[in-house]
Amino acid sequence: MSARAISRGGTRGWRIASYGMVLFFLAWVLIPICTVTLNSFKPATAIFTTTPDFSFTPTLEHYFNVLARGNFPRQYLNSTLVAIGTVVLALGFGTPAAYALTRLPVHGAERWFRAFLLARMVPAVSLVVPLFVLLQIAGLKNTLTGIVLTHTGFTLPLVVWMMRAFFQDVPRELEEAAVVDGASRWTAFWRVALPLTLPGLAATAVLVVFFSWNEFLFALVLTGPQTQTVPIGVSAFVGTVSVDWGGSSAAAVLAMIPMFVLGLLIQRFLVSGLAMGAVKG
Amino acid sequence: MANTAITTGGAATRSPRRGYRREDGSLLGYAMLAPAAILVGILILLPLAYSVFLSLYDWKLLEMNRPKRWSGLGNYWKLITDDGLHNAFVNTVIFMVGAVTVELVLGFVIALAVFHMTSGRRLANAIILLPMVITPVVTALLWRYMLDPQFGIVAQVMTALGGHGGIDVWGSSALALPGLMLVDIWQWTPFAILILHAGMLGISEEQFEAAAVDGAGHLRVAFSIILPAIVPQILVVLLFRSMDTYRIFDTVFVLTRGGPGVSSDTLGLFTFRNGFSYLQMGYAMALSVFLLVTVSIISAFYIRLLRRRGML
Repeated sequence: MSARAISRGGTRGWRIASYGMVLFFLAWVLIPICTVTLNSFKPATAIFTTTPDFSFTPTLEHYFNVLARGNFPRQYLNSTLVAIGTVVLALGFGTPAAYALTRLPVHGAERWFRAFLLARMVPAVSLVVPLFVLLQIAGLKNTLTGIVLTHTGFTLPLVVWMMRAFFQDVPRELEEAAVVDGASRWTAFWRVALPLTLPGLAATAVLVVFFSWNEFLFALVLTGPQTQTVPIGVSAFVGTVSVDWGGSSAAAVLAMIPMFVLGLLIQRFLVSGLAMGAVKG
Repeated sequence: MANTAITTGGAATRSPRRGYRREDGSLLGYAMLAPAAILVGILILLPLAYSVFLSLYDWKLLEMNRPKRWSGLGNYWKLITDDGLHNAFVNTVIFMVGAVTVELVLGFVIALAVFHMTSGRRLANAIILLPMVITPVVTALLWRYMLDPQFGIVAQVMTALGGHGGIDVWGSSALALPGLMLVDIWQWTPFAILILHAGMLGISEEQFEAAAVDGAGHLRVAFSIILPAIVPQILVVLLFRSMDTYRIFDTVFVLTRGGPGVSSDTLGLFTFRNGFSYLQMGYAMALSVFLLVTVSIISAFYIRLLRRRGML
């Protein structure tokens, strides 16, 4: 037993109990994910059984069905385009703002940060009705531009808060040295501070992708048949008394996998990011 | 904070600090801030102001271009006397208190267990984070299949144990709301675990060593050293989970639509339904304002506590 475990009050019994509880929790997390993944490879006869069936012949037919027919490929493409557009806009607008508020002499910077925090706390449900009307007036309803804009509005405050934390970690002396050497303040931002925050920028981008990819309410109200995103497609499977468990499971797996990959890539930043930098991860 | 010097007075009156020329950066600063500020203004503030304005009128979605009838505070009066809203509000508060309590307590227990592991912690954390990044609609799908009364794994296990299949959770007015809470707990307890665990890692080893010298047992350490040290993290969990559960929409919409009857109706769903099913836009706007004001009260409460501790 390590010295650390002893000093934390850990005895052998407590340690075994700890491992037991964690294993139990991991099983609780993994069972639904594994069940749906298994279903996506099962022939229908193996899904609709009253006892668990593990002796099936794996099939890719559900994936072929989902990817070859219906709206799912279109929705997948839409979700990807919306996520990319949102990342570009939210980071493109949010990063300079975060830099200006952490490093440049902007009056009332602290108050600006608080204003962005408040904007982040506005519930989507409060905005969906007025945004529906406003986008209709602007002619942006049922367009990808409209949905990108709403996602951008929602993620911009997150970007400002995340990037503030990353810019604060850059040693101020580096930018000062650049300015003393004759660089403009913009160059100090663009050539010195920004490259140093690239990992943070990437983590922030992933958080924006999570929001955009998972967002349901705006997509439900503001998109039309041609502009639907993945969550809308998946919800159609759940809503109807669908018998296509295989197809919907394949769609669910295809929706989950990119998020798992991204989530594990930025594991270190994920928690503090979801808490908007309030907690150092 | 890095900006204390800047927030205290006018830009022109103060001497330059930190060796930069002030005028130079100030203009650039506003230029870099303006696009984001304008965009948030258009996409968040404008819709909010617009919803306050339109909540004073009585109008339907299909009558968008016709002149709207002024109703003053009529929509807000309706809000006070609406039994449907009362029901949705009670459900939402039950959902929030129930789900957040379980997430926090379970989160603390599992975070503590992870904290006591001597190996495999990285792997455990990697698995624990998975539910958080799943689309809520997909989470709803997972649990619809898990709890299917005929072919769900829960029903299969119950049959194997000699029962007669499972229970139709989403079709039961007693179980629909607890079922939705279960889904939220599955998806978001990981958030509590990872935040609380991060807080525990920040406690200095000396504190544990001092407790060990005193002969403190496992429970004493957990409650008199770890728990007080992670109060800020607990507040963060409470803040974010209370806000998110209070405005819960996606999983409710997909799994129960508030049913059976209105047994699992929530504020978010109620507002949505009034706007987009009943097309009562004026009333839906008033409900949006109500939701915003109440959620602000909840978050202001926690933010004040957090600020007092120097977080945020």
